[in-house]
Amino acid sequence: MTEPRSLQTPPRRKPGGALVFWASAALFAVLFALLTFQLSSGTTGTTTTASRPVQVRKVIKRRIVTTVVPSPGKNRVVSGPATSSEAAPEVPAEPITTSTS
Amino acid sequence: MKEHDLTFDAMGSHVRLLIGEPPAGADLPSAAEATESARRFVVEFDRALSRFKPESELSALNDDPRERVPASPLLRRAIQAGIEAAELSDGLVDPTLVGEIERVGYIDSRAGMAGEPLADALGSAPPRRPARPRPDSRWRELVVDDDAGEVIRPAGLRFDTGGTGKGLAADLVAARLRGYPRFVVDCGGDIRIGGAGALTWPYEVFVEHPLSGERSHLIRLGFGGIATSGLNVRIWRDAEGRVVHHLLDPATGEPAWTGLVGATALGDTALEAETRAKAALLSGPLEGRRILAEKGGLIVHDDGEVERVGPIAVIPTTAAASAEPAEVAA
Repeated sequence: MTEPRSLQTPPRRKPGGALVFWASAALFAVLFALLTFQLSSGTTGTTTTASRPVQVRKVIKRRIVTTVVPSPGKNRVVSGPATSSEAAPEVPAEPITTSTS
Repeated sequence: MKEHDLTFDAMGSHVRLLIGEPPAGADLPSAAEATESARRFVVEFDRALSRFKPESELSALNDDPRERVPASPLLRRAIQAGIEAAELSDGLVDPTLVGEIERVGYIDSRAGMAGEPLADALGSAPPRRPARPRPDSRWRELVVDDDAGEVIRPAGLRFDTGGTGKGLAADLVAARLRGYPRFVVDCGGDIRIGGAGALTWPYEVFVEHPLSGERSHLIRLGFGGIATSGLNVRIWRDAEGRVVHHLLDPATGEPAWTGLVGATALGDTALEAETRAKAALLSGPLEGRRILAEKGGLIVHDDGEVERVGPIAVIPTTAAASAEPAEVAA
């Protein structure tokens, strides 16, 4: 009489702990070395073109504000907003005075 | 640029109009015509709003026993101006002190009457103290209903344009002069300046010192209002021989002696300037400085010292003749 063959596949043997450890460490070391090389050479894994250099510019705008204070006196030429008359106004004969009323 | 210059008497004071000719081609009457139109307006303003004229609309309102009284747009505007002045001054410029001013003796216009010398009056005046608003703030009972064309107030509450009328008149005339290149409306020292040309060519406005009567300071002004309030006019002796004047402490109804004899104020309008000047004078030196700090002004102490307050550029007139035009108040 022959023994019936087992229907179950024999259980796989687990790799040893030391093997897993050293394999992981080796893989890590290889990947680390690869990434270090890529970074130092300026390439990445997704693109092979070199990244553009970044230009930093400092833009300085200088505005000069000038206030023109015209003279109310006679015969003075003053640059400023256009008025209805180019001539300076006559000085009133009697001074304008604020006083108690 | 030629300007039309006219001086006449109204509102118990001298009124002066200085109006530049409109530009050629502008659809505006000539400066002479505008001046005459403005003069008629001021005369009509005075006729309608003087408490010294029994036939005025203001006198009719003050005598009217009704609570709601129909009023012309001009009277409503004048009362609104009085309310605005009271609000701006927290009740110090109170337009309802008619009974109080009459009790002091200011019943008829004192225009042209010689007054007591202020310097002498200061020696016999009561101790100085700031004026205070009237506790019951009766001016708050004044209501202007423009929709109904009415003024609403308790019967017997009388209104006086004295504190605000000249400034308001200057502002209303200025509004009629829109488009003219340069103008001054001077209603008894309450002055409104306007026109684009005045920004380029500011007017020189002198400030009269209340004690010396001299033009002590000069201000160059391109737009807005300037006004002066002081104790040197409308000052007299009452029946008891006390020296009294027309600027009352609303809290007491008596003439205010605050340590200041004059104040000049700038403002966006003549009404605002007049209100600030009067409020500063009534408040005394400490609070007066605060009132003038925003728009600028001058205060004159009892001893005659003139103090500049806030954003105002002034030139003492002794140096004005030689001063460079670098100081412009606007």
